[in-house]
Amino acid sequence: MSDITLRDDTTPEPAPATEPAPGLLPGELRPHPSPLRYVVIAVVLSAITAAEVSLYYLQGDIPDALIITLLLAFAIMKFGIVASWYMHLRTDRPIFANFFVLGICSAILLYLVVLTSLQIFS
Amino acid sequence: MATIEQAPPPSPPVPPGPPEPAGHPPAGTGTSNTKLAIWLFLSSDCLFFGAFISAYLLYRSRHQTGPTPKDVYSIPFTSVSSFVLLMSSLTMVLALAAIQRGDLRRLRIWLLATALLGSVFIGGQIFEFTEFARKGLSLDTNLFSSTFFVLTGFHGAHVTIGIIWLISLWGLATQGRLRQGDAEKVEVAGLYWHFVDVVWIVIFTVVYLIPAPK
Repeated sequence: MSDITLRDDTTPEPAPATEPAPGLLPGELRPHPSPLRYVVIAVVLSAITAAEVSLYYLQGDIPDALIITLLLAFAIMKFGIVASWYMHLRTDRPIFANFFVLGICSAILLYLVVLTSLQIFS
Repeated sequence: MATIEQAPPPSPPVPPGPPEPAGHPPAGTGTSNTKLAIWLFLSSDCLFFGAFISAYLLYRSRHQTGPTPKDVYSIPFTSVSSFVLLMSSLTMVLALAAIQRGDLRRLRIWLLATALLGSVFIGGQIFEFTEFARKGLSLDTNLFSSTFFVLTGFHGAHVTIGIIWLISLWGLATQGRLRQGDAEKVEVAGLYWHFVDVVWIVIFTVVYLIPAPK
């Protein structure tokens, strides 16, 4: 006797779970950080801001190219910390991060092309 | 001989089933529609602010008349404003942590603190704009002023909308209409607020700190 079993195709596929696990918000994979960790992150962000402002006052003492590179690196660092810890991208489903990264990359790409075509970098 | 088949008796009426659930059906992504919508909005807002930042970068050095960025910017003042907005992101996440714990008293405190810090930032921006106008820089003075006021003005409008949103949530919490089960409402408002903060992180660096080409 054959082992073939018939599957009823009319049965709808079960929808992905929309209810979060107990103690989690919708879309969360892991719990959010503790309030103490949030405070530590705020201290780190403040320290980076202080470093940025200090760099501004070093104009003339060190090359502008170095200042610009460091300032951009600090801004990217702060942006990443806020997005991953305060906006919870590191504990939420990757779909949210994908949307956000898509928007950021589209903006950077689009306006780099525009600014290059207008010869701002030459 | 032909036989006539008798029609089957009519089936009894089907009893009504349970009522359809109200609202939208669940999304096929396995997460909530509200959170997905706010992330899509924030993603599109990146392009919105990208346009104004690019226009500023393009035109800031093409000022023919009037004061230059170096003449009008007060870095110590803007640094304090940036710090205030950064701290408002901390109070916002503390508000979310409070509602997740069911601590509604602290939720109200942190929501109000966030709205107040946002108001201080907006107050600082109004003061800054007034000072610029006193130094002879208005929206139509030159290309630098036009792009600067449009960029920072739209950011200020975003912060103002965020403050109204936070005060609405605080009002709901005060009336007892925001409970532990409504944590997602606070989270969505928080995502918007943090986005406004990260946009300012970029503006502070690109507009105020990075030296303009000579």
